[in-house]
Amino acid sequence: MNTINPATSRRFRFRRGGRLAVVAAATAAVGLALSGCGGVATPALGPTAAAADPASAKDAKGNVTLCGGKDGAGLYKGTVDAFMKANPGVTAKYTSIGATTDDARTQTIQRLQGKSNECDLFLMDVTWTPEFASQGWVLDQTKLVESNKDKLIASTAATARYKDRYWATPFFTNAGLIYYDKSKVAKPETWQQLYTEAAKASGDGVVFQAKQYEGLTVNFLELLYSAGGDVIDDQGNIKIDSPETRKVLDFMAGGIKSGAVEKGVLTYDEDGTRLAYESGKNGYERNWPYVYGLLNKTKLAGTFGVAPLPSWEGGKASGVLGGWNLGISSYSSNPGAAVAFIDFATSPDWQKHVAADYSSAPVNEAAYSDPGVLAKMPFAKELLASVKSAKPRPSSPVYQQISEAIYKNVYSVLSGTASTDDAVKKMADQIKKAQASF
Amino acid sequence: MAMKTLLPGRGPAGRDRAERRLAARMTAPSLILMAVVAAVPIGYAIWLSLNQYSIREAGLSRFVGLGNYLDALASSDWWAAFGQTFLFAAVSVSLEMALGTAMALLLNLAFRGRALLRTVVLLPYAIVTVVSAITWRTMFEPRLGLLPQILDTLHLPGAGVVWLGEQGYAMAVIILSDVWKTTPFAALIILAGLQVISKETYEAAELDGANKWQTFAHITLPLLRPAIVLAAIFRTLDALRVFDLPFVLTRGANGTQSMSMLAYTQLTENRQIGPGSALSILTFLTVMAVSAVYIRFGGGNIRDIAKEDH
Repeated sequence: MNTINPATSRRFRFRRGGRLAVVAAATAAVGLALSGCGGVATPALGPTAAAADPASAKDAKGNVTLCGGKDGAGLYKGTVDAFMKANPGVTAKYTSIGATTDDARTQTIQRLQGKSNECDLFLMDVTWTPEFASQGWVLDQTKLVESNKDKLIASTAATARYKDRYWATPFFTNAGLIYYDKSKVAKPETWQQLYTEAAKASGDGVVFQAKQYEGLTVNFLELLYSAGGDVIDDQGNIKIDSPETRKVLDFMAGGIKSGAVEKGVLTYDEDGTRLAYESGKNGYERNWPYVYGLLNKTKLAGTFGVAPLPSWEGGKASGVLGGWNLGISSYSSNPGAAVAFIDFATSPDWQKHVAADYSSAPVNEAAYSDPGVLAKMPFAKELLASVKSAKPRPSSPVYQQISEAIYKNVYSVLSGTASTDDAVKKMADQIKKAQASF
Repeated sequence: MAMKTLLPGRGPAGRDRAERRLAARMTAPSLILMAVVAAVPIGYAIWLSLNQYSIREAGLSRFVGLGNYLDALASSDWWAAFGQTFLFAAVSVSLEMALGTAMALLLNLAFRGRALLRTVVLLPYAIVTVVSAITWRTMFEPRLGLLPQILDTLHLPGAGVVWLGEQGYAMAVIILSDVWKTTPFAALIILAGLQVISKETYEAAELDGANKWQTFAHITLPLLRPAIVLAAIFRTLDALRVFDLPFVLTRGANGTQSMSMLAYTQLTENRQIGPGSALSILTFLTVMAVSAVYIRFGGGNIRDIAKEDH
């Protein structure tokens, strides 16, 4: 039989209890330490950050590192290699720091808060500019952008602007496109026509990105901007509580109910959308230019057309500008080589390669009509139309919170758990709260 | 007695004090290490949670006292995450304990290849949670996932359901992936408890004419209780801090926001260091409170059982 001495058993009990408490405390502490790490580094540079000197590119040498998210199209590595060929004195390298845009942002911020000089250049999503500028993390590129201005599409340069200065140079831009099955549906002219056709056609309707994340903000704003709505104006006044917002939300939710929109969109990001369309059951797909090359490698090659985003009831079509800019780290030990890299990457000659070899949207307008580009990217004209009509997302250092307020509430309407009216009020309320954050 | 007169002041009482001092000196290094490992980060997080750090101006911060906590406790987001996390923990831990006990009983039977099977059932637990979560997400992908495909082929209902896009179903999938992954862990601990129960107890029961069910209900289960309680403590503490499953499977949509995910969003995505740290501390306090309850009542059980056994 098990005979346990009461005395030993009490001590055992005490020790075990104590140990458990310590284990619990230690695990929680590690969790906290991990999530809190790098929390409050305080960069010394304010909005009057040091400026990048365009002339410093002339005798660039040494090492330069470009850091950014997943290099899906191979563009970052390709640009780095081509840059080294053109500048034999410089050793350039691309370091991948995160699979998704959110991961890349977290990783980038960690390095900047730690004042790390590991990366000289960062790929910056167009929505990061106000935050990075106000924290003094990137060099002021006003002189550089102004000297390159005639080569850049104006709307793309605007994404790098905050408080009348430029904090990055556009590398490539992005705009949504509609891919459609020519045998099932017609080229879309208006969103209304697109939904009607999608509901009538056999199969699973239109697919886009409506998972609860940044992509949903973009997909919703594309419709809202075409319908004439807005989130905040230039003075920061909230404009989201409008009839346009209600119209667009009702329209999208109605599309899911009627079957014009595949219900699976509630779980789709860009790749989920792409894979769904590649199964051949959908009439329409809203996605970025990168899927064109991939779609052509499937059995659907030749069956689909590419169109710019449609208009709202025949008004002026609009969209949301995406893309990535190049920022120079305030802690770079070789800003001269970083400037040289930017000069190379945004040169009209390399911008043609950006389109032709990597299916990405150039920031140089001339590239879109280059015969070499048109041969590889037959939809260049549609893409340019989409880029030129697209508007930037709200410009604010608290953009993440504003976007969260948008995508969470849009999601609750699309998934049928909130009424349009409640969601719109909540959205406006949460955006107001975000703007008031310290 | 002779010692006492020979060495005054070094009697049993004095020796005791000296021993205690020695003990204190010997445990000091590990206590200091504990303080550095546990107390410093917690203290730092508490300090962060009492401040706000500007997102508009570099280096600007202000002390707000308990302001971040009051904001959190007044927000519906916190209470929603609180409720959803407890729902997840309660359902998944209950299922894991029931299935873990059943699995342990099976693994305790004598059969050929038992050692191999014991290793194989641990496989799900050896897989990184993020990886298994991605696998489950792929399986439940609308239309193209394995499950909708199987349902479709067999003409069963549910092929058109968007599992991860609907309230209720989304939580069910998250619970399923957690149960799949951690039941083997519970089974392993319970199996260890099973092996401690002596054969004589069962022989005595057999002599007394107890049937299989009586043996299980009156011998196996009560003697297994300490092991089950221990497994439940570990699993509950883990479940209350769940992050990776909802992060990968739903990103917190459809009623699957966990407390840790909420803190993560505030800390890293929104860079609200103060309010985010307050949420971390609230999560920490919740977990500590639950473990205290477990140790108080679970520990009591362990003591009672030990006494009965004695």
